[in-house]
Amino acid sequence: MNAATREKPFSLAKSRRTIQWLVVIGTIVLGLRHIMPGEASRGGSFDSFCAFGGIETLLPYLFSGHTLKSTNLLNFSVLLGTLGVSLVAGRAFCGWLCPLGAMQDFITDWTRNISGEARHIRGKESKSLLPLRLPASIDRPLRYAKYLVLALVLFASLYAAFPPLREFCPVRAFFGLKMTTLLWLTLVVFLAGSTLVERFWCKYFCPLGATLAIFNKISPVRLVADSHRCNNCGRCDIECSMGIEDVPGKLSDPECIRCLECLETCTRDNALALRVLKT
Amino acid sequence: MKIHPRYYPAIIIAAYVVFLLLGILLGFGPERGGEGHGRGALMQLACLTLESLA
Ligand code: SF4
Ligand code: SF4
Ligand code: SF4
Repeated sequence: MNAATREKPFSLAKSRRTIQWLVVIGTIVLGLRHIMPGEASRGGSFDSFCAFGGIETLLPYLFSGHTLKSTNLLNFSVLLGTLGVSLVAGRAFCGWLCPLGAMQDFITDWTRNISGEARHIRGKESKSLLPLRLPASIDRPLRYAKYLVLALVLFASLYAAFPPLREFCPVRAFFGLKMTTLLWLTLVVFLAGSTLVERFWCKYFCPLGATLAIFNKISPVRLVADSHRCNNCGRCDIECSMGIEDVPGKLSDPECIRCLECLETCTRDNALALRVLKT
Repeated sequence: MKIHPRYYPAIIIAAYVVFLLLGILLGFGPERGGEGHGRGALMQLACLTLESLA
């Protein structure tokens, strides 16, 4: 086969970016639909397409038989889709299909570009000033905040008329196109946070990520490391947007978003592999 | 069993679509009126089963 006809090697990272852009464009379309009149009578408001809306409205629905205002039954199907992905492949929704996760990845790319890294070399420590990695003494305890947010939202949902996170939701702030003062504030905090720390919202505050974290332990499709082939070069750690240290030893960590950037980065054949169970 | 990473995007998108459609088929679909709906088909079934057991 000559060079002109040789098949291009498959790039996971490029497929991921393509899917993320498609998800973001789809969410922008939902946002545009949201500012047109009468959307609720045409299948539900912006909120009703949100997986986390399904969690926010679950307890009220079970106890009273009614969903919260601005949500409807579709939220449960969107949630089921998200849980389905997680049941099969852990937090792959976060790594591939979440519009907010995608925006944070894009912000990181742009931030790196404008803060000193013209072109990122995979597996090499970035030369850019931003984003920062918080010291472990702050990073580790802060990671539990998302579980607290989840518990607070579930509790508040029992007494709320609207989904409790609605006025602080970065998805609405980014894509909803109907801004309030609180949503502007949310947007500013989200943008500043994501510029300073990679996947800031996912690491510390996202209650949907907190819900999906458990699935990394049980999903059949998983990443597996071969300790005989891995030479502990640390390239995968550098590329992990969730800041997991010692990636080969922590492949079912609740923080892993199954983005497979580590797999893409590893240069040792089969040191990391995607498997069904550990077979 | 090893999976080629090439199939990974298809696996997760398929899982999402299958479970989303399952939810819609179970009655958790977009309904006219937009919000504040009563129980869906599955929940009705679960409630009826519980009531008949009680
Ligand atoms: S943690 Fe939350 S915001 Fe981040 S990708 Fe997952 S669902 Fe999206
Ligand atoms: S899994 Fe690959 S990239 Fe990661 S430490 Fe081992 S050899 Fe290096
Ligand atoms: S461990 Fe690998 S798959 Fe998990 S978040 Fe880090 S880079 Fe992505």
